[in-house]
Amino acid sequence: MSFESDLLAILPRLRRFAVSLSRDRADADDLCQAALERALRARDQWQPGTRLDSWMYRIMRNLWIDEGRSRQRALRTFAPEEAGQNVGYAGDHDVEAHMTLSDVDRAMQALPDEQREAIALVLVEGLSYKEAAEILGVPMGTLTSRLVRGRGALIELLGEAA
Amino acid sequence: MTDIDEAMLIAWVDGELDEVSRRRVDRAIAEDPALAQRLAAHLQLRERLSGHYAPVEAEPVPPGMRALLEECGKIIPIGHSSAPRQRKLWIGGAIAASLVLGLGIGRMSHGPTGPIGLSDGIMMAKGNLASALETQLASAQQDAPIRIGLSFKRRGGGWCRSFEGSIMSGVACRERDGWQVEQLVAAGSRSTEYRQASSTDERVTSTIDALMEGAPADAAQEAAARASGWR
Repeated sequence: MSFESDLLAILPRLRRFAVSLSRDRADADDLCQAALERALRARDQWQPGTRLDSWMYRIMRNLWIDEGRSRQRALRTFAPEEAGQNVGYAGDHDVEAHMTLSDVDRAMQALPDEQREAIALVLVEGLSYKEAAEILGVPMGTLTSRLVRGRGALIELLGEAA
Repeated sequence: MTDIDEAMLIAWVDGELDEVSRRRVDRAIAEDPALAQRLAAHLQLRERLSGHYAPVEAEPVPPGMRALLEECGKIIPIGHSSAPRQRKLWIGGAIAASLVLGLGIGRMSHGPTGPIGLSDGIMMAKGNLASALETQLASAQQDAPIRIGLSFKRRGGGWCRSFEGSIMSGVACRERDGWQVEQLVAAGSRSTEYRQASSTDERVTSTIDALMEGAPADAAQEAAARASGWR
């Protein structure tokens, strides 16, 4: 199999990971598309014989983190001058995006990034702790404490209906 | 009170404990209803999350992404004879996954008809999982929503079987009252065709290794065990 057809084969799982990280489906597909483009450009850095899925999860996760940071920066930059307008617009968009979200989507978004990515890799993608810790570049103990806190928060947010 | 902390409990849910620790948690759960309740909450959360996102994986890949990959790799060059077949198989797989979803182990621990129930803090197979474990032969299960992997005798006696559904896979052993689920892991990372070759999750494999005495049953031994009610 070629590099591209291997990517195509794991693409459904990559999209699922993107959806569990992102705030809506449009953002998820943008993230997925960006991850594919980066992978195609950086294909020389992938070592055949290693796990392509882990490599892709890592690429996608790093893009997602970068994007989150630049969004934060943009918000801070625009806020003072055009506060009213921007906040109003962002608010409308948020309300709209929120209405199409399910309880699970909302609960996941309420989590801090580092808990959400840990939950997504282990509970949604079904990776082992070792694989997830490697992708996130954290020790196992850090991963497990994020899983404990994230799960506690989700159970609380989803309440009895969980 | 027990000395089982939250991290250990979720490691149990995630299939990350070794045999000895798993037994410790099992004993603690059997003695402590509060702990059993927390375990149930974690199992439900896990099921709800994997069930919630599973349909995304079953969707067809967006044409734009497919085109990006095909253009770069010329995956399906025009005139290449085997290409259309590959593509059709892939789409078939996605549809099959979405159909199986509702029948798989997706509705774990939800009410009386779910495939797993807690009885005195012990996870027991119910519904379609219980009947698959009790009656399904590994040699005859082409389209079954739950597939049986290996059947084997455990150390100390008794039969165990590994199983795999669309969302969860694991190992269960036959006790007097039914099949006790020894381990459950999310099958999330393996439900596409891509990894079928390397089928069983390594966490499940290591549980099988820890439990199994001798070699797994062949088809004749499996049929004989079923005939004698797995005694």
